Amino acid sequence: MELIIAAIVILIKVIVIAVILFIVPIPLTWMERKIAGHIQQRLGPMRVGWHGLLQPVADGLKLLTKEDIIPDQADRLLFKMAPLVSLVPPFAVFVAIPFGESVSVMGYEISLYISDMNVGLLYILAVAGLEIYGVIFGGWASNSKYALLGSLRTCAQLISYEIPMGFSVIGVIMLSHSMSLLDIVNAQQDIWFIVYQPLGFFIFFVAGLAEAQRIPFDLAEAEGDLGAGFHTEYSGMRFSFFMLSEYLVMLTISILCVLLFFGGWHGVLIPLPAPIWFALKVGLFIYIFMWFRFTFPRYRYDQLMNIGWKVLLPLSLFNILLTGIFIF
Amino acid sequence: MISKNALQRLEQKHPWIGIVFFLDLIGGLALTMKYMFSRTVTMQYPDKEKWMPYPRYRGHHVLRRDENGENKCVACELCSKICPTNCITVVPHENEQGKRRPLVYEVNLARCLFCGLCEDACPEEAIALGSTFEYAAYRSQDLQVGCDELLNAKGKTEQGGCVVSAQFFPDDNARVEAKEKAGYHWWRNIHRQKDKIESSVQGKDR
Repeated sequence: MELIIAAIVILIKVIVIAVILFIVPIPLTWMERKIAGHIQQRLGPMRVGWHGLLQPVADGLKLLTKEDIIPDQADRLLFKMAPLVSLVPPFAVFVAIPFGESVSVMGYEISLYISDMNVGLLYILAVAGLEIYGVIFGGWASNSKYALLGSLRTCAQLISYEIPMGFSVIGVIMLSHSMSLLDIVNAQQDIWFIVYQPLGFFIFFVAGLAEAQRIPFDLAEAEGDLGAGFHTEYSGMRFSFFMLSEYLVMLTISILCVLLFFGGWHGVLIPLPAPIWFALKVGLFIYIFMWFRFTFPRYRYDQLMNIGWKVLLPLSLFNILLTGIFIF
Repeated sequence: MISKNALQRLEQKHPWIGIVFFLDLIGGLALTMKYMFSRTVTMQYPDKEKWMPYPRYRGHHVLRRDENGENKCVACELCSKICPTNCITVVPHENEQGKRRPLVYEVNLARCLFCGLCEDACPEEAIALGSTFEYAAYRSQDLQVGCDELLNAKGKTEQGGCVVSAQFFPDDNARVEAKEKAGYHWWRNIHRQKDKIESSVQGKDR
């Protein structure tokens, strides 16, 4: 009986998180367009719903009704597979992400995470790395030069920035003596790791920008030189799957920044419920991502590689050394 | 201000500080943040606002009436002669009082280029270009406007060049109706940083 209840609870949690993840890009696209508008002294969407709140719904309906084009010479199986392949890892990542410790509902303790893995961080980095396959498949199967070039660039970018990202996290692991995200957050109860790891945070944040393919590192879909990168040939619902996965990666990076460096759901000064603190911090990071997008131009490809290999990688190694000395 | 100048001096002395702490990027972020919370310049036409044209605006043609409420036009055909696009058709006739009046007065708005020469040529100040600018039509023959419509069209505005709140009626005969006479100047929300621009130019000279 206990086992059945536990299984049902986990199932409900999985469904709730999956539904939330499908819905979350709707307010995020609205937010992005509003921020873009106001930074450029425009209003952004205003006509559908209150201040354009329903605009993403209208856009979604439009994408659903669009013609689903598959190019003539495309590899049809891979072409259809790619959006799904790129959509699965961002969802799978959320298995290991805690949103809070636990709440008691009707005398039953419900934890606010699906699973507290003892290798949670490793799992997240590994699964997030699988997202490259969607991009490779999409670019290759489209049989178009822009898509192929875009996907090649993306692969190189994602692979080279995964290394500093992984290294920058090692400092946090050394401080908290654990790879479980729950333990990492609990280790920050008094002092957030941003105090001990400013360099680590900087590397993680920059590498995260590159992983999420946001400006200034959005070479994958550089409109100016590549059409739209790996999803040039995609339209309608398949295109929106790519967009969905992109927004989820951004959300994941924001959540990881908060969990690893900004004390997760532990608040300061103002006593708010833990999930609200968590949401506020994640929202702030998402805002910063969007703010960056409408401030900076795009890096050139060689600059991107220089930053990844010649700046971030040595810096992250130095950070590990520094943390080691600090602990010792 | 003092601390800011000190920072700038420090940065000029040691350029590596700016590179290490990404001062240029932070400056860009600060600028976009400032714009984020400045007022928008969007005019919400047709939903909420509408622009009232200036008195000198040249819009839809209008025929003026004299003090007896009669058409001022004497059908001298000067307007149709001077029209560079040949869009005005005037056919004169003699009415019951023995006065020369237009039998037909038609303006083809689809062809008109709104130069205002007809207005200049008119000896009776009968034809003028009014303030109406919303006369889009589904068919080009609807833009062939006759005498009655020209007599009823809206004339020049007294006070214009402002944005007023308005209401949009999206029915068959879609229109935007202004709800007030005077509003704000459309350039109110546009950023003008004259002093800033000048100071930056001076900075470059140095």
